[in-house]
Amino acid sequence: MDLDTIERKAAFVEAVLFVAKEPVDPQRLMAYLRCADAGEFERILNLLEEREGGGARATVLKRAGGGLSLVTAPGWHEQLKDFFSIRTTSRLSLASLETLAIVAYRQPVTLAEISDLRGVNSAGPVKNLLQKKLIRLAGRKKVPGLPALYATTREFLLAFGLGDLAELPSLEELTELFEEKEQPSLFHQE
Amino acid sequence: MELESYRIATDFFEGPLDLLLHLIRKNRVSILDVRLADITSEYLAYLERMEGINPSRESDFLITAATLIAIKARTLLPRTDLPGEESPEKALISRLFEHDQLQKISRLLQEMEETEITLWRREVIEESFSSREYAIAEVSAFQLSELFFSLVRRKEKEEFLTVAAKSYSIEAKRQEILALLDKEGFLDFSAWIWTLGSLEEVVVSFFTLLELVKRHRVVAVQKELFGPISLWQQAAAN
Repeated sequence: MDLDTIERKAAFVEAVLFVAKEPVDPQRLMAYLRCADAGEFERILNLLEEREGGGARATVLKRAGGGLSLVTAPGWHEQLKDFFSIRTTSRLSLASLETLAIVAYRQPVTLAEISDLRGVNSAGPVKNLLQKKLIRLAGRKKVPGLPALYATTREFLLAFGLGDLAELPSLEELTELFEEKEQPSLFHQE
Repeated sequence: MELESYRIATDFFEGPLDLLLHLIRKNRVSILDVRLADITSEYLAYLERMEGINPSRESDFLITAATLIAIKARTLLPRTDLPGEESPEKALISRLFEHDQLQKISRLLQEMEETEITLWRREVIEESFSSREYAIAEVSAFQLSELFFSLVRRKEKEEFLTVAAKSYSIEAKRQEILALLDKEGFLDFSAWIWTLGSLEEVVVSFFTLLELVKRHRVVAVQKELFGPISLWQQAAAN
């Protein structure tokens, strides 16, 4: 089939994303479709995002981890779990989230630096995050003992729906974000 | 009762910074305005409810208690600040500030995870299928080595009539293994290694296998400990 219309191009992108197991590099798709500019490619993606399905959609376009992929549309989570007989969805513990936050903002960072910032030994959470492939070894710090340095992975970006690390809010934005919301207490009732 | 509530609290406050932040929030002051000397007694009250301090577990709490007492003592004494010396109060407050931001970021990440977890990607289903159908354990490098040395010992006991002067390269073996995997889909490593001609070839093959596993080109699976090891080609990542 010729890729002569924008509709066909959008359908082709969908076909590629359907087959691809990993997010697809948008540059590669642009080059293949011979898009004149980023604007044309964006129109193709918009067309793909706007597909109508009588109010119900199977998948949506996801831009995360520097690539494009198809993910299930919001709202199917419970039924999918039921269909595939998946009982639990594992979430990260608060300790792991804190550790991940430090790695995300301070990378590359050593275990000692993580433990110091958290105020508690963090070997457990680091191991857990390594196993989940959310962080990776990123060389060794040139200080006595040559401690291992940790950095986040693309898996991290995908798991948190981030295009790249720059999409993490800056510390100023974070403060504003939490001033707007009434800060929910993390701690038990006072 | 008192003891009970403290137990719950220690489980909850993972470190002294958590406890301090809790006390600051309870007093409804901002971290930058807090007078640490004022909350020292509250902090110590928490520690006092502890029966029998376990130094290895509570040492972080004790160090912070000592710092708080030192800060309080300094506020009572005439100022003798040396130029260039950072006050312990400032140091602790900047740590608290960082810890507070950390908790905010963690909560943000938690919300993001909560959203993303409901959007399914391809891998999620594949994983749950494979884990239910095979329940196979991936073989660690140590198990592979163990298998290798047991194979080498068996090979050594064999008597060779001829010695072929042939050298093997990892690159050639790599292509051989990948070609076999391409053709057959999978490879019974233990059986295959028996078909090899010499110890040298076994050694080179094994290093090639380790290299392939390391580069995520193949997956080595073993259904039980010391059982036969099978190889699969791993779907190309990128």
